[in-house]
Amino acid sequence: MEKKVQIKTEMSEDRGGDSSQTEDRDNVEARLLELAKSHPEGISNDDIKQHMKEVPLPEITTVINKCLKNGTFDLFRTKDKLFYKYKDPSKKTVNKGADNEEKVVYKIIEEAGNKGIWIRDIRFKSNLNMTQLNKVLKSLETKKIIKAVKSVSASKKKVYMLYDLEPDNTVTGGAWYQDQDFESEFVDVLSQQCHRYLLQKWEDANKISGGPLLARNRSYATAGDVHKFISELGISKVSLSVEDIESILYTVVLDNNAERILATNGSYLYRAVNRFLPSHGLVKTTCGVCPVANRCADMGLINPKVCTYLSDWLNN
Amino acid sequence: MSAQLGKVLALIISDRFGPVVEKVGMYLFQYGTSPLLYIVKNTGLPLGKVKESLCVLIKYRLVFFVPNKNENIANYTFIADNVLLMLRYPKYIHLIKRKFGDESEMIVEEILQKGYWTASDVIQKVFQRLSKNVDNAVSFGQLKDKFVSLVTAKYLVRIPYSEEDRPVPNLILQEGELHSISEIDIQQLVISAKTGQPFCFPDQGVYWAVNFDRFHQDMRDKIIVAAFTRKFDENAGELVRLLLQQMYIRTQPWADVSNPVPIIEIKDIIKKQTGFPQLNVFFDQYVNVIEQDSCNLIRKSGEASGGSFQIFLKEAFTQFAWEVIEQCVLEKLDSKAARIFRLVKLKQYIEPDQIQQLAMIPAKEAKRLSYQLFEENFLQIQELRKAPVGNGPSKSFMLFHINLPQVAQMILELCYKTLFNIMTRRSHEKVMNKRIIDKKQRVDTISMGMRAQGASEDQLADIEEMITPPEREILEKIDRTMKKLTLVELEIDDTIFLLQMYLIYE
Repeated sequence: MEKKVQIKTEMSEDRGGDSSQTEDRDNVEARLLELAKSHPEGISNDDIKQHMKEVPLPEITTVINKCLKNGTFDLFRTKDKLFYKYKDPSKKTVNKGADNEEKVVYKIIEEAGNKGIWIRDIRFKSNLNMTQLNKVLKSLETKKIIKAVKSVSASKKKVYMLYDLEPDNTVTGGAWYQDQDFESEFVDVLSQQCHRYLLQKWEDANKISGGPLLARNRSYATAGDVHKFISELGISKVSLSVEDIESILYTVVLDNNAERILATNGSYLYRAVNRFLPSHGLVKTTCGVCPVANRCADMGLINPKVCTYLSDWLNN
Repeated sequence: MSAQLGKVLALIISDRFGPVVEKVGMYLFQYGTSPLLYIVKNTGLPLGKVKESLCVLIKYRLVFFVPNKNENIANYTFIADNVLLMLRYPKYIHLIKRKFGDESEMIVEEILQKGYWTASDVIQKVFQRLSKNVDNAVSFGQLKDKFVSLVTAKYLVRIPYSEEDRPVPNLILQEGELHSISEIDIQQLVISAKTGQPFCFPDQGVYWAVNFDRFHQDMRDKIIVAAFTRKFDENAGELVRLLLQQMYIRTQPWADVSNPVPIIEIKDIIKKQTGFPQLNVFFDQYVNVIEQDSCNLIRKSGEASGGSFQIFLKEAFTQFAWEVIEQCVLEKLDSKAARIFRLVKLKQYIEPDQIQQLAMIPAKEAKRLSYQLFEENFLQIQELRKAPVGNGPSKSFMLFHINLPQVAQMILELCYKTLFNIMTRRSHEKVMNKRIIDKKQRVDTISMGMRAQGASEDQLADIEEMITPPEREILEKIDRTMKKLTLVELEIDDTIFLLQMYLIYE
């Protein structure tokens, strides 16, 4: 029978500041973990000594202490002998003292991963009633085992996930969201800068003589290029990934300021382009952009003879 | 054929021919093909007036007639499209002036003013006009050559005539007569010009009119070339121009897609030209760039004789129509709305959730803009309902999509409305300032008369001073307003032309 005990191993700590030493220690740690994983029933001090004869004992002690601290190792005593057992750090068990309901709810939330789970779904899965569930969730929350995260897709919807998990992008919305609010100004600025970069590249390419084909090929930019440009510009406080830039560039394409083609290696290439037509006659007058054009007629209150939009435009 | 179009047509006709003709024309527009007595009865105009109006309308090819079942009665039909073309006359004249010079311009101008005319009469008239200008003397022979070249280039066509004598003539035209020039006797023209006697010319009864289709062809090509010039550069524009020029040798002018044109032909032409050195050097590259562009309007169709290319005219105008509409959305709503519009265009069918994700617009705003676009009829909603399974919640998907022909039609209607508004406003401004305009005209006539009589500068200045400085200011303002309105009217007509081209191809 195994009994879990919390023992502080009293061993002298070696505090080496050398970089080569830390490297050694990483190596030792990896080997130790490997060893522990291959023995699911646990490893004793003797096992360790046997497998790593060349490593000095103080070194091993430091590593074991570290692993015990961050919860990768569990310490057991069986038959007056100490055993270390490997424990997956991502899987935490509920603290002792939790009742059955808490365990069930914990398991459901754990399964949901970093996407989180909605309270209604927990209720359906656990078959607990609302008041009971609320109580359980509250207790888990105060114990800092789970946390509630507000989802961006619906501002009032809260999802629960394990305390130490980083919420998924679908929940937080990624780089574009700050406290559930979409930062449209930030996106606009980025989109403008991306367009400026592509335009600059296009103009530079056109300046160099060498034929239209060369100019066209030079004016293509990858998302990586743009990403580098934006990072160097330093307009963004949060660090943006290349995928983020990719989606920004897509808005530039949607604004008809750039075109996107598929390169041979499967990534996209972007290039600033011109439109076919200059702005046409209809949008130069007021009627083309008039908000009450539908209600305008040759008689009635809204008519061209007294139209203030037209008058303003004519007096301009 | 909308009410809005009817209003514009009414304005155009009453502007040019007066209220009586307008009434007859509008009756025919509203009620469709009708015989004479119906028009008389329903308009309440005297028979003589109606007949006169119909004559005017037929003369300008705004109405045509066909015999009824009872062959003594004619049915009259209104041609609405031709009325709108009257706004385009300045453009036709300008086009001819650029392509063929001043004399040809005058020939076309005279024919447009008359509706249709015989060759000899036109030449005589133009000669008279030109002879007033002493230092620019032109002989009849030159004018005849100009006329013939206009006919061979198909800018002028012969109009159908009747051979038999019947109450309602059946107008026909033999094959080949459309563009074949008849005899023009220069000798007689010279004699008649000298003596001033009206003369019976040999080509009497052979009438010529302007072929609008040919002009539209030129305007269409101009739009395409300008678009390519704007998107790429002048060299690419020139390349497309030559491609279009070579296209006519093999293809019907209004075909959706041109037949393949060997690129080597164009290369040869460019080699002989000197205007575009860049194009000559990088010819193959330009061809490559245009062909590989994402617009896909010019495609390679075969490798024969160094590669042959097709130009997709229908698709070109579809893309132009898209751009026109996108600009309308952009100006009317917002750049974000335009982004959503383009996104829907790219995805064809799209869910509202996807819109906010891909367009990077906050959820609330994306929703507001897409429903605003829906309200303004730019977007359509397609609802997909799943058949309800048991008693579970019934699911339905909402998909946004765009019906381009319908949106184009809507924008076209808006163009008509704008045209109507601008014309109404212009006549309103004229009425409001009638007194001051009349005064200006009076002063002008007086001062002109006095100048002819040889009045001194002081006297002339006195007359000029009859218009006070504030009045002068108002006159200037009216002048500016009128210019602005006229300019916009022409520009709107460009948009109408573009959209009509799209709808015709569609």
